[in-house]
Amino acid sequence: MEETPQHCLSRLPDNSALKQQELPAHRLYFTARRVLFVFFTTGIFCLCMGIILILSARSTQEIEINYTRICANCAKLRENASNFDKECTCSIPFYLSVKMMGNVYMYYKLYGFYQNLYRYVRSRSNRQLVGKDVKAVEDCAPFKMSENKTPIVPCGAIANSMFNDTIILSHNINSSVQIKVPMLKSGLTWWTDKYVKFQNPSSKNLADEFRGTTKPPNWPKPIYDLDKKDPRNNGFLNDDFIVWMRAAAFPTFKKLYGRLNRTHHFIEGLPAGNYSFNITYNFPVTRFQGEKSVVLSTLTWCGGNSLFLGLAYTVTGAITWLASFAMMAIHIILKNKQMSFFHQ
Amino acid sequence: SHRLSHLFSEHERYLQANNKEFNSIFVYPNNTIKTSKYSVFNFLPLNLFEQFQRLANAYFLILLFLQLIPQISSLTWYTTMTPLMVVLSITAVKDAIDDLVKADIQRLFSYRMKEDKWMNVQVGDIIKLENNQPVTEKPEITDAELLYLHFSAGEVRCEAPNNKLDRFSGILTYKGKNYFLDHDKLLLRGCIIRNTDWCYGLVIYTGPDTKLMQNSGKSTFKRTQIDHLMNVLVLWIFLGLGIICFVLAVGHGIWQNKKGYHFQIFLPWEKYVSSSAVSAILIFWSYFIILNTMVPISLYVSVEIIRLGNSLYINWDRKMFYAPRNTPAQARTTTLNEELGQVKYVFSDKTGTLTQNIMIFNKCSINGKLYGMHVFLLDDKNETPKEKVDFSYNKLADPKFSFYDKTLVEAVKKGDHWVHLFFRSLSLCHTVMSEEKVEGMLVYQAQSPDEGALVTAARNFGFVFRSRTSETVILVEMGKTRVYQLLTILDFNNVRKRMSVIVRTPEDRIMLFCKGADTIICELLHPSCSSLCDVTMEHLDVSDYASEGLRTLMVAYRELDEAFFQDWSKRHNEACLSLENRESRLSSIYEEVEKDLMLLGVTAIEDKLQDGVPETIIILNKAKIRLWVLTGDKQETAVNIAYSCNLFEDEMDEVFIVEGRDDETIRKELRNKMKPESLLDSDPINIYLTTKPKRPFEIPEEVANGNYGLIINGYSLAYALEGNLELELLRTACMCKGVICCRMTPLQKAQVVELMKRYKKVVTLAIGDGANDVSMIKAAHIGVGISGQEGVQAMLNSDFAFSQFQYLQRLLLVHGRWSYNRMCKFLSYFFYKNFTFTLVHFWYAFFNGFSAQIVLKTTYWTMISHVIIWGSLGFYFCMSFLLYSDGLCLAFPDVFQFLGKALPSGNALNQPQMLLSIILSVVLCMLPVIGYQFLKPLFWPISVDKVKCRRLPRQSPVRTKLKHSSTRRSAYAFSHKHGFGALITSGQTMKMPPLPSELPEHINSSSLLFVVFHFLHYYYH
Repeated sequence: MEETPQHCLSRLPDNSALKQQELPAHRLYFTARRVLFVFFTTGIFCLCMGIILILSARSTQEIEINYTRICANCAKLRENASNFDKECTCSIPFYLSVKMMGNVYMYYKLYGFYQNLYRYVRSRSNRQLVGKDVKAVEDCAPFKMSENKTPIVPCGAIANSMFNDTIILSHNINSSVQIKVPMLKSGLTWWTDKYVKFQNPSSKNLADEFRGTTKPPNWPKPIYDLDKKDPRNNGFLNDDFIVWMRAAAFPTFKKLYGRLNRTHHFIEGLPAGNYSFNITYNFPVTRFQGEKSVVLSTLTWCGGNSLFLGLAYTVTGAITWLASFAMMAIHIILKNKQMSFFHQ
Repeated sequence: SHRLSHLFSEHERYLQANNKEFNSIFVYPNNTIKTSKYSVFNFLPLNLFEQFQRLANAYFLILLFLQLIPQISSLTWYTTMTPLMVVLSITAVKDAIDDLVKADIQRLFSYRMKEDKWMNVQVGDIIKLENNQPVTEKPEITDAELLYLHFSAGEVRCEAPNNKLDRFSGILTYKGKNYFLDHDKLLLRGCIIRNTDWCYGLVIYTGPDTKLMQNSGKSTFKRTQIDHLMNVLVLWIFLGLGIICFVLAVGHGIWQNKKGYHFQIFLPWEKYVSSSAVSAILIFWSYFIILNTMVPISLYVSVEIIRLGNSLYINWDRKMFYAPRNTPAQARTTTLNEELGQVKYVFSDKTGTLTQNIMIFNKCSINGKLYGMHVFLLDDKNETPKEKVDFSYNKLADPKFSFYDKTLVEAVKKGDHWVHLFFRSLSLCHTVMSEEKVEGMLVYQAQSPDEGALVTAARNFGFVFRSRTSETVILVEMGKTRVYQLLTILDFNNVRKRMSVIVRTPEDRIMLFCKGADTIICELLHPSCSSLCDVTMEHLDVSDYASEGLRTLMVAYRELDEAFFQDWSKRHNEACLSLENRESRLSSIYEEVEKDLMLLGVTAIEDKLQDGVPETIIILNKAKIRLWVLTGDKQETAVNIAYSCNLFEDEMDEVFIVEGRDDETIRKELRNKMKPESLLDSDPINIYLTTKPKRPFEIPEEVANGNYGLIINGYSLAYALEGNLELELLRTACMCKGVICCRMTPLQKAQVVELMKRYKKVVTLAIGDGANDVSMIKAAHIGVGISGQEGVQAMLNSDFAFSQFQYLQRLLLVHGRWSYNRMCKFLSYFFYKNFTFTLVHFWYAFFNGFSAQIVLKTTYWTMISHVIIWGSLGFYFCMSFLLYSDGLCLAFPDVFQFLGKALPSGNALNQPQMLLSIILSVVLCMLPVIGYQFLKPLFWPISVDKVKCRRLPRQSPVRTKLKHSSTRRSAYAFSHKHGFGALITSGQTMKMPPLPSELPEHINSSSLLFVVFHFLHYYYH
């Protein structure tokens, strides 16, 4: 055997921790004390969190009025598409027994409306919506072009199906005096939507920019007439439009319609008393067994009045506690057994 | 017509020396052996074809085409294209590199001669082989099978290429005369030429026809069990995918009927959708595309990368680096790592694998006095370095030889008569050839390393065997040259287990020197020696001669009467010339003179085990890994080694030896040995054999009622491997603790491994170092090559290569285990990840009218966020991997903190509901895991946990004390063939001085014959 001298170890692998698999590693040792500590503290945390969440959710107020059946005659009318030019209004009185403090938000809520269908979601043109090229309608099937081959603005199924009921909340101070509750139509959207994803074509006169296009078939008026009073809320920048264009993930969803303008009488919120919703009923839902309702709600730091998160936390905390007691019992029993085994 | 007949089958090979035109009729293959798979041109199509044979890849190809159909395309094309391209290109690059490495090795393999020249060697060429090539310092490895001929026109008819190493028959016709050619005259590819400067030969077989290649077994692509598991999983996933898509399509049909039809005011159906059923069919395919993440396309490539990492860890392991030879361990196949953790049976070669193939003269007992013993007593206690005996008084001593007992040298110097006689007999009674190129530098060429060790020992103590002719042996005894007349050599064979020489000393005395196995010699001793014999035998017992795997030989002499010898010599000559019963007549003649011997002493030669072999075997045994030794060696030698390396123990209930010569005996031997009840009809194997069901049979795991060992030799194995007997063999062998198969041909080794693979669903590993192990290495699930002295053949065909047997322990128990654990964890996580991602879509389908809408958007920003989040995590891990030292973290303490401050003005992340939901999910995911990990050791404790419970202080590792057996085993471990005696006395063995002329006529053919013996010896380890 030819011996290689010790200094000639040219092929000796490096002695680095990576190559020798000696990187620092940490292995958790699940001692009873640590595990039970973790379980108990997590349990306490979850229980506390749950209680806090439930309490805060309880502190919010919410009123939901489903007007699908209340306005049955209007619904009937809308089932026939040929009646599109006939106006139908419907008034729904209700009594607010406890005043709603703070910011009050008004939503419309749709049931069984599938904004999440694959073809529906894709049926929009983002290039059009940022105002770059109003005639870009490639992705908008089946609402790309009108029958006379002019591009639809805004094109696509989402835009075409925009919620177009008008809801006006009035406060009946007494049987004769009725004041309209002031609602703000701004600040309803995500910041990125309003300032990045939706832009009007840069021009003084919107109507000029949209020349050579046509309105979606379901719309009563073109996009540049959505809000004639406020140019910042008109065209693609209309808050209602933007809110609608953000497609909901589930077939039951609510979308922000307006927020209370806290002035004069309503500086603290909505006082208790008689109110009524005056609804111009345009949006057909009964054809596909859908329903719609209007919601008034206040918010806290953790959102609306959904109890789900709070309950989930409470249940988790409770189970954790039960589990930790069970584990403690198992540990004590088995440990004694093992000790006797080792002492034998 | 010649050509055609050759193409179909070759019954006989017919060739003419140096007649290219004639030989080309037969279209013999050329001498290249191609191992690489691809070339530049066929790489892309061939590689792609291979890759698309994988189910998952093919699936993604189909998906690509499906996505071209707009009606069902539910994802953008690049979502499936990108992963497919990435996977394909990574795999292609890996395959290309693998193939390049192989091609490199091929080049390395044939470097000995100029490559182009060597490729062109053809059948019928006469080529010259040289011993000392200037390019390589080692002896030339010849790469073709050659027939020695000292002429340039002759015809050879011989058998067709086959794999039998020990058989060859052919007829050489030269100048009208026929000469018979047997296997002694054939040089095999892969052999080493020794003891001659050059020789000429005729090429008989080339390339794939050579016996080496015929024996090398089929090279199959090795796959691990994890691979099979993955394939099965992928199939199940496909099935699951089909079911899910079907359910969703049905759901869609129903939804379209009930809701979608009415929803048309807002979303009219496409024109081609005439009914909800059509829509449902389209949706089936849409979901087929969407749920593609369930089919693990990146699984294969991720697995490959993990395996590559694990093999790199093997390459990098310093604990598997062998400093004396500067060789690190080498994972030559990257695909088999996790299989290492599953090995159940190890098949090992003996020589060069378990042993170092170095024989060392260790101890001796001369005339009732024991030498070399106390060294071992010292060895245990004192740390003082053992002092080597100074041989400076002897100019011809071999500097590499070392001995530690001074008393023996003193005895030699004093001139002790018995000691002198002892060494004289060692230096006379052998068949070693000596070579003296430089004055005083003797090189011995011994047929077996034992003999070499003995003659070298005698040389160092002052009885130098200098040279021999056919009639004389020249010794230098304590500086004085003496010429002994060599009268007869009574050669070694297996039955006699001894050899003797009869010499006439310079003092004109006729002496017989004999050495042989102690059991044999004892019976031949003169009655006056009986007391000495007892003392010597006692030495053998007491001094643990055999327990260390020492090979013992008894040395004896007899002085012969001149008249008696003349008489005997006459009869001996007659017997030599007789044609009938020559063998038996000779041995009876031998017995006449080999009697009334006077005992001189005993030698003990250590067949040095490699470092750490017994410890490794003990540990492997503890890990329930069985070791079978498959060796070409003799039974005695193999058994001896088995005892010394703890494969067999003295505590064993019995060691069975199967030595049948026909089917029935072997069957009985196999059955009766261990389980007499297995002869009953209710036995599962009997049932299997009688019913012969189609499905593959798997031998049940059985536990023997004791601790047994099994020894079987190649001859019996040839029968045992046939037909029904192989089941019996396997079953018996599997119940034994250790199994030794000896005198095996390379192909038999492979057959044994195949047998195990066929009937037992276990992972096998074969380890060996020589060319004869190649077939076994290829056959086993995992082949390990020991890169040692015996060339590179085994290493080139192996999956893992290192230079010490003991590294097997680390390879299996550390690397194998870790690789397997990592792979299992990875697979679990991979499938978990894929299913969570995919099943969300299944769940979501119930909310979106089964419309193939996906939960997550695949837009630009989603991708960017993914890249940033996972990329930064990956970056973090890379950093902590490479710079695990805390230096960098201390220098920039806030480098890794950016992860915590996620997007201050994000839309979703700054909402408390979102964060609270994440926290809740974390709690819900983590707590059960923690609880499970905590309760698991309480309910199902494994030994490690018990230790943890007791919190014992860490013990310093206890060295395994090797227990040596006390029974004595003797081995006269010459090679299996006859010795050289006949050659030496025939006067043909003497090496001529280098001839001035290179004319073929001048070659001494018998010196070449001598070379052949060497080959066979080396080949047979």
